[in-house]
Amino acid sequence: MSTHSPTAPIAPPAPPAAPEEAAPAPGRRLTSSRSGRRLAYGLIAPAVVFMVLVHLLPTAGGVLLSFKNLNTFTFSQLFAAPWNGLENYRAILFDSANPLHSGFLGAARNTAIYTAVTVGGTLAGGLGIALLVNREFRGRRVVRTLMLAPYVVPSFVVGVLWAFMFQSDSGIINRVLVDGTGILSERPAWLLDHSLLAIIIPSVWRGMPLAMLIFLAGLQSLPRELYEAAAIDGAGPWQRFRYITVPLLRPLIAIQLLFGVIYSAYQFTIPVVMLGSNPGPDADLMMTLIVRQSFSNNLFGFGAAASTLLTLAMLVWVAVWFRAFRRDLEAAA
Amino acid sequence: MTMLSLTPRRRRRLAGMGLTALTYVVLALMLAPIAWLILSSLQTRGHLADGVYDVLHPTFAAFGEMWRAVDFGRYFVNSLIICTASAAIATTLASFAGYALARLSFRGARAFGTSVVATQLIPGSMFLLPLFLGFIWLKQNTPIQLFDTHVGMILVYTAFFAPVAIWFMRYFFQQIPRELEEAAMVDGCTRFGALLRVVLPNAAPGVTATFVYAFLMAWDELLFVTALTEHTAETIPIGIRNFMGNYAEEYAQLMAAGVVSTIPVMVAFFATQRWLVKGLTAGAVKG
Repeated sequence: MSTHSPTAPIAPPAPPAAPEEAAPAPGRRLTSSRSGRRLAYGLIAPAVVFMVLVHLLPTAGGVLLSFKNLNTFTFSQLFAAPWNGLENYRAILFDSANPLHSGFLGAARNTAIYTAVTVGGTLAGGLGIALLVNREFRGRRVVRTLMLAPYVVPSFVVGVLWAFMFQSDSGIINRVLVDGTGILSERPAWLLDHSLLAIIIPSVWRGMPLAMLIFLAGLQSLPRELYEAAAIDGAGPWQRFRYITVPLLRPLIAIQLLFGVIYSAYQFTIPVVMLGSNPGPDADLMMTLIVRQSFSNNLFGFGAAASTLLTLAMLVWVAVWFRAFRRDLEAAA
Repeated sequence: MTMLSLTPRRRRRLAGMGLTALTYVVLALMLAPIAWLILSSLQTRGHLADGVYDVLHPTFAAFGEMWRAVDFGRYFVNSLIICTASAAIATTLASFAGYALARLSFRGARAFGTSVVATQLIPGSMFLLPLFLGFIWLKQNTPIQLFDTHVGMILVYTAFFAPVAIWFMRYFFQQIPRELEEAAMVDGCTRFGALLRVVLPNAAPGVTATFVYAFLMAWDELLFVTALTEHTAETIPIGIRNFMGNYAEEYAQLMAAGVVSTIPVMVAFFATQRWLVKGLTAGAVKG
């Protein structure tokens, strides 16, 4: 019983009954016992079954489909549709006569812009709000809680609501910006002429509370003494922010960048609710394109190939991200 | 008197007041769209078309009409059934797997943990197409009915939201002192018995938060339900899209439907907020 940790309760002598765990010594020894391992596999088995059936096998199926010619005419054959080699990929990437080629490039560009601006805006806004509510002021607790509200509005409601507010004639946004304050001199048709911006703004609005929460948790864990020492050394607020806060928050920025980019690149609900299943060439994103071509036009081979390319793009992003932030992750671990 | 002639202390006080005012302005901007949603749901169709609101005379008419325009009740019930069942099953799976990751060391633990995260990297469309084709194939060739059924949607959502739920539960289990289950095991419980009888009850707030989070995400899901249902198992997001397609001018009802769709998740979120926030931030802050 030499492995007893000092905090463990004083155990009576082990009953001789349980042969496999004869001495239930706390901590490591027990957890790495054979019965512990068996239990562990039993505990993860249900989750593994679901992940294999709904994530792993269908993903493999998706890659397979990307090499098949599955469209309206071959749909009845399902997975047995004829092979198509690399034709789907060639058409998407290199066939400039194919409308899918330009559609894909346009959607890729829109998705890149949407993702960069949405993630940048969400993190900057979330950090700004976190800094504001991290101060001492009256009503701080209530303000922090209320700031979370946009995060809890479902995405499809966000889409409906902002599409309504962005209406050109009677929408509240133009009424405020044009009629009320005169900031704009003419009424923009947001959903037609500025459609990408019109889906970015609600996305940032809904994303900021979560970023605020994460940054706030980070800010509260920063050592106060550092700031006091820096203030004594004559560092102003901006310098303290630039040389203390930002470097210490880097791991949090890193993790939010990673998942924020993935989440935004796969955004579907907000554009589709606000702009319909065909958002037009200015705001068509990868997911709206893939879903429309697959389910409205039955171009499943195209959809699968475009999805595979999107997955590859995200793998590249993860690799880039890992190189850029490896040091921060090691520091945080 | 200018700013510069003030003493440093008074200057800092003034700056503080300015920042507090700014905080309240930002809060107002963040809440304004939600206020507008609620205000608009309490107006008549005519007021919304003009854009001139009669705020002093709210009417609940739209909240009555919205259930008749499209069959919103059916969508609502479908959402409740599918989201509750999938969140409950996902949380159960996650409690087991999360416990294994938090407490037991076993070969493949790292690989399992990594693949749980890796599932989040795959775009939905990647496995949506094969799932759709697979559901159609099953429908045509076997008695297993998953396309456009509650069971089919529950299976899909369970698998989707299990990975995040696993990370949540892993974190919540790590917060529970090991001594609790060790004491139970000394008293003759098996480890699994200790998990069920001692650890899980102590993790109850975490279990609830995990359930609520999975429920929120399922409630929000549009992509898969669009592709994998056509009538019987359609949920609220589909109902809202049908609403927009068929009654585009009925904005008051649409806003009312928005309010009704938001209330359940809003209540669930704020009721469990303390723990939910821990789960949401722990992953990022602790790595």
